[in-house]
Amino acid sequence: MIIPIRCFTCGKVVGDSWEEFARRVKAGENAGEVLDSLGIKRYCCRRMLLSHVEIIDEVLRFYEEAEKRKEARNFY
Amino acid sequence: MKIEVLEKDERNMRLLIRETDVPYVNALRRIAISEVPCLAIGEVVIIENSSILQDEMISHRLGLIPLKTDLDSYNLPEECECKSEFGCNLCRVTLTLDAEAKEGTRTVYSGELVSENPEIVPVSDKIPLIKLAKEQRLRLEAYARLGKGKNHAKWQPVSKCTYKYLPKIEIYSKRCDGCGKCVDICPRKVLAKSQDKIEVRDLMACILCQDCVKACPQNPKAIEVSGDENTFVFNIESTGALPPERVLAEAVKILDKQLEQFENDLKVKKDED
Repeated sequence: MIIPIRCFTCGKVVGDSWEEFARRVKAGENAGEVLDSLGIKRYCCRRMLLSHVEIIDEVLRFYEEAEKRKEARNFY
Repeated sequence: MKIEVLEKDERNMRLLIRETDVPYVNALRRIAISEVPCLAIGEVVIIENSSILQDEMISHRLGLIPLKTDLDSYNLPEECECKSEFGCNLCRVTLTLDAEAKEGTRTVYSGELVSENPEIVPVSDKIPLIKLAKEQRLRLEAYARLGKGKNHAKWQPVSKCTYKYLPKIEIYSKRCDGCGKCVDICPRKVLAKSQDKIEVRDLMACILCQDCVKACPQNPKAIEVSGDENTFVFNIESTGALPPERVLAEAVKILDKQLEQFENDLKVKKDED
């Protein structure tokens, strides 16, 4: 759903690296190199970011659309 | 026992501990993981939650946020004089959160938690807690208390706490013909070849996997890898709740206390007999 706060295995905080990781990978950087530069060394922590899908964005779209419709109704 | 600091920064520490043995070092490791207390959110009162995550999920996420811990001014709930279920100022920290998305979707970060004690704050301000769509609101009050890693991993002050023997690599130059097979197979690139001679490049990186010994075509083998059983490389990585050196110092204190307790228990048993 949303990026886990800690690595499931070792307990290192990985949540705060997610946004930078996602942005840089989207910009075309190599994911492994981004992880290295963020200081995420162990494979347990690396898979947390590598395999994560931020589904919350998809769910939130329904609420955004509902809000837009409400605004449109008020407009008329 | 002699301790030498190999590497140290805010979160990590690497030590070389000489003249000790496995039982002691392992006791330190286990205590650092499961007995050294640190602060974490344990109870959450949700006042308003119109977000898309359930109350339970939000409180779970809150609990996992490591908080900077001040061990000297806070007591463990079971040791606190207040004896209260809800805790007092000496064993509880209140954090509040009031987040609303006024203009479109936004992320709520751990930095938005307001603590009653400005020293006790999340170690990172940038941990995403939740995402709110427009008009959604999250209001809550969270209570952080001290606890131990053996009860829940959120109270674990370290994410990595390991030790290994100090590697000992011996190359017998009489038998070695410098074929370089051991250099190629080493997963940590410990060995290097220079002018038909094998040299140890980075001893600390060796993980004692013995691959180089197996790869050696000579019989008997020209290389020997073993661990020094009284010297350890101790690695400790803190979650940020406590500085690594403090975790280790607390672990030693707790071990001493437990040994004393054990000795007293033995004495009592003897008296009874």
